[in-house]
Amino acid sequence: MWTRTVNGRVLHFYLAGINNQNFLMRDKETGTWWQQITGKAIYGPLQGATLELVLSDELTFGEWRTEFTNGLVLAPVAKYTKEYEPNWEPEVAKLPVVISFPGTELKSRDVVVGLTINGAARAYPWETLAKQSPVVDHVNGTPLLLVLGPDGKSFRVFVSRIDARDAEFFLQGEDPAETSAEKKPWALVDATTASQWNFQGCATSGPAQGKCLDRIPALKDYWFDWRNYHPDTTVYKR
Amino acid sequence: MNTSSLSEHEFHGQLADQSNRRTSRWIWIPFFLCALATIGLFFVPAFIIRPFRYQAPRALFVAMALRQYAPLVTLIAGIACFVLAFALWKTVGPWRRALLVLILLPVTFSAVMARQNYFEWMFHPIAGPQFLAQSESKLDPKEMIMAVRFASDARAYPISQMAYHHVLNDVVGGVPIVATY
Repeated sequence: MWTRTVNGRVLHFYLAGINNQNFLMRDKETGTWWQQITGKAIYGPLQGATLELVLSDELTFGEWRTEFTNGLVLAPVAKYTKEYEPNWEPEVAKLPVVISFPGTELKSRDVVVGLTINGAARAYPWETLAKQSPVVDHVNGTPLLLVLGPDGKSFRVFVSRIDARDAEFFLQGEDPAETSAEKKPWALVDATTASQWNFQGCATSGPAQGKCLDRIPALKDYWFDWRNYHPDTTVYKR
Repeated sequence: MNTSSLSEHEFHGQLADQSNRRTSRWIWIPFFLCALATIGLFFVPAFIIRPFRYQAPRALFVAMALRQYAPLVTLIAGIACFVLAFALWKTVGPWRRALLVLILLPVTFSAVMARQNYFEWMFHPIAGPQFLAQSESKLDPKEMIMAVRFASDARAYPISQMAYHHVLNDVVGGVPIVATY
């Protein structure tokens, strides 16, 4: 997701083509061609410009509506409801790929969460995240916390730092010292202050209550697409 | 005398025919060039930017450049094609007239298609997005959405819809954004 103001001018984008299964858009005002995944103007009058990334989330509707009670939902367009594929994920996964990276760590259609910290890109295989969430990692010296939500489908990435100090997090109820008899509600707990944190990255109780972690933009993508635009990416392994 | 004057007339006629043919040869060449340019300006980029095909960086660059100038150039070249075809029409027989028509058809098609965004025929854009309060939405709680928030303005774009429309221009909390999927 991108802001669409460039050099003080508001642009309107439309779908204009495809580049190795990542779509191209053009703006009505200048006709410039933009690559969807990078937000870069690759041809036309604004070539070289980059759109500003907007922090966005991929969440389940259920998770989102607990967080934003006054939010608005894009209404389906009646004419096209037949075209909407509720089961889009396995359907898209069946489509062939036109670029592949043999010899790399992952398969073309493996789903990853990709992020970039000061130019250093890293991909986190979705399967690994699903098994290990919350994942604590360092990229380019920045401590990161990658976490799947209570629904197991929503995800967010945070800077794992409380008051400028690196922090460790674990999922409440997963501490082996705790008894599993009582099922506690979903919450993260930090190892330093033992405060409880919600999926929005804010402490809801304990000494850190009221504090929120900084967010890091991350993209859920197929490996082939992520690798194509981030040739130097590393892959998280544990 | 009569015979001689007739043959003289014929002779002049033959000369005129020859010169006509020579002139028409010089019209056929620009006609073919205009036709080739118009047809190429649509078909070459359409061929390069095919879904499920590899796009080499240089080929993509050529496709974007051609698409960029195609609306103007196909208009000029297309009109030139018709003017030249009109000039040729009087000088040629029925077979060549058929050939002219046969060439003008894809020329017209290409000039029209160079102005069309056929990707939006496949994936229709949302002209004026409508929104529902979350309590009115019939989405399943398990459905994935793309979410964005500016100040107190929060939006959810269901991925099942975005995977079809691909691009949505919106203004959230006063900030113009484009949601892409």
